[in-house]
Amino acid sequence: MITIPPYLKKGDVIGITCPAGYMAKEKAQTCIETLQSWGFEVMVGHTLGSASTNYFSGTDDERRDELQAMLDDEHINAILFGRGGYGMGRIIDQLNFTRFKKHPKWLIGFSDITVIHCHLNSRLKIAGMHAPMAAAFNDEGYKNEFVQSLRKAITGKKARYKTAAHAFNRLGIASAELVGGNLTLLSHLCGTASELDTRKKILFLEDIGEYTYNMDRMLYQLKRSGKLDTLAGLIIGGFTDIKDTERPFGKTIYEIIREIVAPYSFPVCFGFPVSHEKENYALKVGVNYTLQVGKAGVKLSEM
Amino acid sequence: MMPLTAGFVSMGRINEMANEGDSPVQIPPYLKPGDTIGISCPAGSITHEDIQPAVKKLMEWGFQVKEGSTVGKKNFTFGGTDEERKNDFQEMLDDKSIKAILCGRGGYGAIRIIDDLDFKNFSKHPKWIIGFSDITVIHSHVNRNLRVAAIHSKMCNSFPADWSKAEQVQVDSIESIRQCITGEKMNYLFTPNAANRTGMADGELVGGNLKTLETMADTKTDLVTKDKILFVEDTDEYLYSIDRMFWNLKRTGKLAHLKGLIIGGFKVKKDDAGDEFGKTIEEIVMEKVSGYTYPVCFDFPVGHQKNNMALKCGAQHKLSVHLNECRLNEIR
Repeated sequence: MITIPPYLKKGDVIGITCPAGYMAKEKAQTCIETLQSWGFEVMVGHTLGSASTNYFSGTDDERRDELQAMLDDEHINAILFGRGGYGMGRIIDQLNFTRFKKHPKWLIGFSDITVIHCHLNSRLKIAGMHAPMAAAFNDEGYKNEFVQSLRKAITGKKARYKTAAHAFNRLGIASAELVGGNLTLLSHLCGTASELDTRKKILFLEDIGEYTYNMDRMLYQLKRSGKLDTLAGLIIGGFTDIKDTERPFGKTIYEIIREIVAPYSFPVCFGFPVSHEKENYALKVGVNYTLQVGKAGVKLSEM
Repeated sequence: MMPLTAGFVSMGRINEMANEGDSPVQIPPYLKPGDTIGISCPAGSITHEDIQPAVKKLMEWGFQVKEGSTVGKKNFTFGGTDEERKNDFQEMLDDKSIKAILCGRGGYGAIRIIDDLDFKNFSKHPKWIIGFSDITVIHSHVNRNLRVAAIHSKMCNSFPADWSKAEQVQVDSIESIRQCITGEKMNYLFTPNAANRTGMADGELVGGNLKTLETMADTKTDLVTKDKILFVEDTDEYLYSIDRMFWNLKRTGKLAHLKGLIIGGFKVKKDDAGDEFGKTIEEIVMEKVSGYTYPVCFDFPVGHQKNNMALKCGAQHKLSVHLNECRLNEIR
């Protein structure tokens, strides 16, 4: 059984830390103010707007220590990651989840954060929150339904998302645990202790900035490692800023996915709002949902 | 043990020095003059014209060449549809008159057909499969599942059209393929790098393209590296991505029980402005292997570059990393 961390109530504390790439403090300002306006207290870690001059928001030790402290601090009720980028994989094996396991809290983020969501799901059986991070609040983003979906999710409202039908959709209904995240990270975690177990689950995927051939290869990895064999359902989100080789691949990413899932019968929906763009609904990784892929449209409802 | 000589071609030979726990590696028969080499494209496409420098050179070496049906075929980036590439490669695997298969080029595509290829005949009558980059898929499969040696080397697309303009390292790289397939023991001397970890190791040599290895993790072609000497190379990847791939090697346990580690060429994609990774390849590698004691060397001439020396994957090698010189010697 998956443990669902306690939902947040007014006055609860949200910690903000950057376990991966560097983020300037001002880029998280709107997020901090918005969380406060939602009635939460915000505790900002030193990794946000740190003195780091390279890619990362701090050294491995600094990033790990801050995340560890926030995992262990019982006064912090949820952790919102400032941004992804790259870096969680460098510290994941050094984190100690003993106290977190006793007092779980929501860990909120996506992209590189897929690493910790998978680790939580596979190793600790604790739900995580795949959702917009600090930068998504900027440029009036805090008003949109996607950032608002995070507010609803962390306060315990059950999600009922609807999205338009897509010509490639395979109709059907599935009720199962929802897991997933960034395709590149899911591929990268194969064979490791944080590898995602997708058996009899609804899997969602998104990615950004990858070559088409490379996404094809990663999807083959999912298939060849058995991750598609017993899926209950598949949710395809946004695949944006796609790159192609000089000799074109000749297929779109959606065509590739349609082809690779052709031998199976589980429902599949394309164009679900989970992505690196604005369209990015909060999804509780590890929680049961019902996916209904119908002729008129798609519904994803938390059970 | 009897040393295997260049003329010994009767049967695939069991390598008795393979490690405990992993079955011995079969060395396909080496080639003799008059033998036939097949050219096939299991991944990217190449034109009939572009393989001519390779055809000419193979014939100069005394071999006959059989062009596969995928040469000159083009299905977008691929050397034919999955079906066409599979069928051509299957034919070459099964055709007893073909003693070696030289891949036209890498690119992408071997993973799309590897599970549909039938290696039953190949397993009984092994032959040399020659290539690198995307061909790492096939090499990894024959090493892991069939325990047959294969050659990691340049392919048809890298044979110079005009040898008078070729650099010596290109000439040597191509010549090393001939040495490999005719049964010479491979001996390489290469330049020490200050970041090397010195030491000596004996073991089966395995490896290939790092990204390709990562995307086979947890699949049935996932490379087993225990007690082996591993070499890796890659091209056109960001440093952060290379770092992530080495974490994959580490976290899947592939670095923990190595005999030695050989780092070939890494053509690094320049960091985006403001996203400077701040670590060198040497630093990225050494931090992953700091908990182990086996020898590690950089700058071995293998990769997407002019100096890409042929390596017999699956064969036993001795790696010697000293301060003043580094050697990789094939042993039996």
